This record gives sequence, C-alpha cells and structure tokens, in this order.
Amino acid sequence: MFKLFREIGKAGDATVGYPFEPLDLPDGFRGKPEHNEKLCIVCGACAIACPANAITMELDDEQAYQTWDISYGRCIFCGRCQEVCPVFAIKLTKDFELAVLNKADLSESCAYETAKCKRCGKPYAVAKEVEYARKVLTSVGGPAAADVEMLDLCLACRRKADALTFQEQARPKGGAR
Amino acid sequence: MTPKNPKTQRPGETHVQAVRDTFPGAVLDATWQAADQVTITVPTDMLPDVVEFLYYGRGGWLPNMVANDERAIKGCYALYYLLSMEESDPSFVTVRAEIDPHSMEYPSVTPRVPACVWSEREAYDMFGLRAVGLPDERRLVLPDDWPQNLYPLRKDAMDYRKRPAPVTDVENYSFLYEGNAEETTQVPMGPLHITSDEPGHFRLFVEGEEIIDADYRLFYVHRGMEKVAESRLNYDAVTFLADRICGICGNAHSVAYAEAVENAQGIEVPIRAQYVRSILLEVERLHSHLLNLGLVCHYCGFDTGFQHFFRVREKAMDLAVLLTGARKTYGLNLIGGVRRDILDEQKLATVKFVREMRNEVEALVDMLVSTANFESRTAGVGRLDPSIARDYSPVGPCVRGSGIARDVRFDHPFDGYKYLTGLKTRSHDGCDVQSRTLVRVEEFMDSLTMIEQLLEGAPAGPIQTEDWQYTPHKFALGYTEAPRGEDMHWAMVGDNQKCYRWRAKAATYSNWPILRYMLRGNTVADAAIIVGSMDPCYSCTDRVTVVDVAKKSETILTKDQLEGYCRRRTHSPLAGKGW
Repeated sequence: MFKLFREIGKAGDATVGYPFEPLDLPDGFRGKPEHNEKLCIVCGACAIACPANAITMELDDEQAYQTWDISYGRCIFCGRCQEVCPVFAIKLTKDFELAVLNKADLSESCAYETAKCKRCGKPYAVAKEVEYARKVLTSVGGPAAADVEMLDLCLACRRKADALTFQEQARPKGGAR
Repeated sequence: MTPKNPKTQRPGETHVQAVRDTFPGAVLDATWQAADQVTITVPTDMLPDVVEFLYYGRGGWLPNMVANDERAIKGCYALYYLLSMEESDPSFVTVRAEIDPHSMEYPSVTPRVPACVWSEREAYDMFGLRAVGLPDERRLVLPDDWPQNLYPLRKDAMDYRKRPAPVTDVENYSFLYEGNAEETTQVPMGPLHITSDEPGHFRLFVEGEEIIDADYRLFYVHRGMEKVAESRLNYDAVTFLADRICGICGNAHSVAYAEAVENAQGIEVPIRAQYVRSILLEVERLHSHLLNLGLVCHYCGFDTGFQHFFRVREKAMDLAVLLTGARKTYGLNLIGGVRRDILDEQKLATVKFVREMRNEVEALVDMLVSTANFESRTAGVGRLDPSIARDYSPVGPCVRGSGIARDVRFDHPFDGYKYLTGLKTRSHDGCDVQSRTLVRVEEFMDSLTMIEQLLEGAPAGPIQTEDWQYTPHKFALGYTEAPRGEDMHWAMVGDNQKCYRWRAKAATYSNWPILRYMLRGNTVADAAIIVGSMDPCYSCTDRVTVVDVAKKSETILTKDQLEGYCRRRTHSPLAGKGW
C-alpha cells in the first residue's frame, strides 16, 4: 500500500493544460496538410499519390480552369502528397483541430487557368505548369532550351510541327516528292 | 525438384519430401515463392489427408486458409491452406487445391484439423465454395440479412460500392450449444461488449452461475476491406488501408501486407528499413500490452493501477508520435521500405523513453502482482487446455500462456528480429488468465530490450528501394507478430497494378474459436476477465442479455452491471430475475 502511495506521489501531475494552453508536439507531427497555391504548379503528383482520394483534380466544362481540391474529411494525414511534391507546395502542419460545424468547411479548392495552344487555340495544360517548364528549360540552357517556344503548342500541334520539320530536312525543296 | 546436393536443401524441402513419401503421387506441383515458403498443389480429394499429415504429423500450425477466384487465370477456384511448420525445418508450407467451378465443392478439412473451421465457413460466405462434411455450416462473415447466392469476393459478383437490399428483418443466426446439461440458462452478451469498443454477440449457456458452454457471433463490423483493396486501390496504397485494419496494431498489418508483396515480387528491403520496421512493431507492442495490463487491473478492481498503467502508456504514445508523426496508424510502410528514418536525436530520446518506461512499469507490475485480488481473480481462471490449443492454432499470449512457445518473431525471424541476440519466446504453463498476463509483462520488458538492441544495431544506409520488376499473379505470405499474436497476410497482385486477392488475417481471428473452451467451467463473473485476457481485437459489448432457456425469460445487463459484478463478485445482477 505504501509503495502505491509513493508511486502516486512520484507520478505527480499526469495531465497537461491543453486545451487551455497549446499542446507541445514534436517536429514531424502529421497534421492538416497546408497547400501553398502560389508555389503549386498543378502537376497532379499529389492527386495520384493520395491513397484516400482526398486530393482530387478536375477540369471545368469549358476547360478554362483546372481545379485542385482537398477534402480534410477524407484525408488520412499520411503525408504522401508532401513526399511527392516536386516544388514543396504542400506541407503537413501541426494543426490537428479540424472540427467544423459545416461540412463544406472541410474542403478547400483553388482553380488554375489553363494555357491555350498558340496555333489551334485549344487548352492543353495548366498555364503555371507550362511556365514552370519554361523556367526550368531556360535555366538549363543549351540544346534543352533550343525549342523552348514549342511549349506554347498543344501536343497535337507539336507533333505536327515536328513532322513538318522532319519533312523539311528529309526532302529539301525541289527534291523528289 | 530433388536437389543434387542434399546439404543445400531449401527450407520446407523435407516436408514436401515427407508428403511425397507418405502419399505417393499427391504432390502435383511444388514451387517456392520465397526462400522459406513453398506451395504444393494436391488433388482436391487428398486435401484433408495432406493437411492433417502436415499439421499433426510434421508439427504444423494453421494460421489460415485462403480461397481465391482464379477462374480468370487458371479456370478454377483455388484454396490455399497455409501451414507454419515450427518443429523441424522451420518454413511455411502452403497446400493448394483446385476446385471445379461447376461443382464448387471440396472435402472439408475441419473434422481432421479443427483450426480450419472459420476459414472454411468464410470461404462459403465469400465464394460459395462448399466444404463437404463441415460440421458447422452457419454463416460467419456475412450478416443475416445478406441475400443468398451473392458471394462478394467472386470476381464477377458485384461492384464494391453496391449494397444489396436486406432480405430479412430479423436475426436468424442460431447459436450452438454443445453441453449435456438440460437445465441451462443462456446469457447473451452483445452485440455491443464489455472489454473492447466493438460489437460481438456472445451467448453464455449457464447453470446457475457456472458457464457450461458459450457461442458467439462476430463480424458485425465487417468492412469489406479486401474487396476495396482489390477494386479501388493500387497495390502500393494498400499499406495505408492495412494500417487501418486495427486501431491498436495497425502497423503490424501494414508491415505484413508490404512483406507479402515484397516476398512475392522478390523485393529486397534495405537492412536499415528492416530495423526501422521492427522498432516500430515493438513500439506498437509497448502501448498495446500496457493497455491490456491496465485492463487486467480494472477487472481485478484495482482501478488506481489501471490509471497508472495508462499514464505510462502515454509515454509509449509520445514515443510513437516522435518516431512516426502520429499516435496511431503510423502509415510509414511502402512496398520496398519505410518512409521515415530514425535520426540521432530521436534515437537518444527513444532510449530515454525506454529507460523511463522500464523503471515505471517494473514498479507498477510489482504492485499489480502483490494486489490480493490479482491472484484470486486470475489464477486458474479461463483455462485454455494445451490440447485444445494444439487443435485450434491460437496465437500470441493466449497460446504462450498455455505453455506453447509459438512466436513468429523467433520461429520465422524476419526484419530486424533476425539480428537480435539473447532473447527467446516467453511462455508460462499455468494455462490461465494469470499466465497470459505474465507473458505480456515479460514481453513488454523484452520489447524494451529489443528496441535498445535494434537502435544500437541498425546499420546506416538507405531506407527504401525502388529496384524491382512488377510481375502479375505472383503470391506469397507476409507475417508479423502483432501484440495479440501473428498477423498473416496473403497477397497476389493482378495485371492491373491492383491486388488480385488479398487476405488479411488478424491475430484474434485465430483466437476466437478457442474462447468457448476458455469460458467453460468458469462463472459468469469471470466472463469479462476471460474475454479481456484474450485482449480481443473486435468490438466492445455495451450490454449483456441474459436468457433463461427453461423459463424463456430474458434479461439485459448493462456493461456497468457486468463490470461491477466482475469486481465485487457479490450481488449477482442475475439474482431475483426468476431463477
């Protein structure tokens, strides 16, 4: 019996002040994912990696905008999105107080403009992704940057342009048709 | 198949040879899936003979049987009886039999090896494969209101999102009574029960206060995870779903699934990742065993102890947050390794946590065992006879409390456990609640030692590999020792980057069938502590119904009444209810 009382005395206060004071959490705690929409290039890596389909991407009917959505109700806080993001645009925070009164508050959404093909005018990718690719190619320079203006074309037009260039090289003007 | 040099025999080879010698012509095919995993295909009518021979004749234990709809690959259904060979030549021998898709029948193995009973019942529920001669043909997994002839895991059966309309409004499950006494009273506990927070319906057949027999119905919370994994998730995301099989030992499932796929695909996990996996498995055991020790205190009426075990358990939870970023559902496994390394400062903090927990738990255990109630409430209570244990292949502290030292960490060392020194399987031979509790105490201390050894021994290096070729339709086993016993996963990936079949066997699946024998001969007041000593991983009964068969009367006991009775052992809540 004495041992027990001694143990109780030794244990002291086992509780913490939370919620009246902040809870101390170690670094690396996996809480609410925070999306930095400025850094995001809308590549879709997170949406593919997300095991719970909490992150989804959709194109609107006119194909003018690509939306990026996250539902904190579906999120399992695994942090795969953070792992696969090439530009560090998503990060798990220490925030774990996610209760809301309105279900709609559990999701966040942002829309990104799509880029239109310079030749045919059809939307082909998200503008930010195209800009990111342009920046990377230009900074690498050399042969990688040689065809950088091709980024403004959609896949179909690029193929056509490639084919025409090839034709020009293979059959110089005045050659056999 | 016979090797030229007998010295270089593969694990399992002796068992295959023994089957060949005993049943000439029975082995149609023998292939190795991993170094110590062999599958032999036998004719369907030889199935009971071969499984019985391996089980009783060669020291095998049967964790599970997996049914699979292989019509798309081989034009038939197939059954895989998984046997863990633990006496000589430790290995896994899987007995495979093909089933004709027209007759849909096979001879039941259960009359020879009782451990198959749940698996064979499940094979009928999920695939409609009928075990001829199975003594117990009741439904196991599917609810009473599920339509006949809809077998959810058949490939052509249904979409995973479909929910068939209920076909009946009343419960029609019949509980089996195996006793001899005629004047019995039925005491149903559940579907919502005493120890864990999940549903299960127990029916105790009592004579006065003594339990003569017990039967139960579970799977009220069957979530159809295997179907979801096969339909919706890619095979590499299933580790996260496996993490959610259990709220207490999810990591053990996640590792088991990952290793099933890794074994099948021949993926070599980096050694550091193997160490990290083992460390996390042991961290999980720490909090789980402390939870159960706390509950034992609770049932002995030593609630102060309960509070203190839970106070120390909080340290185990903090340790988990530190190492994984979450208290539970660690989510750190990927096919090919783990996602987070253990850094130097985390290592130091872990060592500190371990030291603190060791001191505190030693003091608490000392107090628990010196409590007068502990001895009287647990010694000789809930006896699991070793011969019953041999028949039903239970796992974990349950079987180890009956003097049978089975522990997959030592029987088939995997991951970091291969590198441990100076530890062995813990067992006690009291066969009662006390023995099971003492096994848990010792295992807890061993876990602390393991964590220290593993942290110290982990070599530097990568924690993930991406170096493998995906080959469809290969299958293998993955296994871990969860706090409650071995988790056994069987996985076959398909040609669409998804699981073709995934069978996840939780530890308690192997332990439920023996509960009936553990309850027999005890009093109603002991029911809660017996169920608790199994540390069941299902769901908690919130209320208990008492039925007097002779008088056709029925009484519902609340959880508080039953728990209170368990502590006081006087003022039976059944008194004055008409018998």
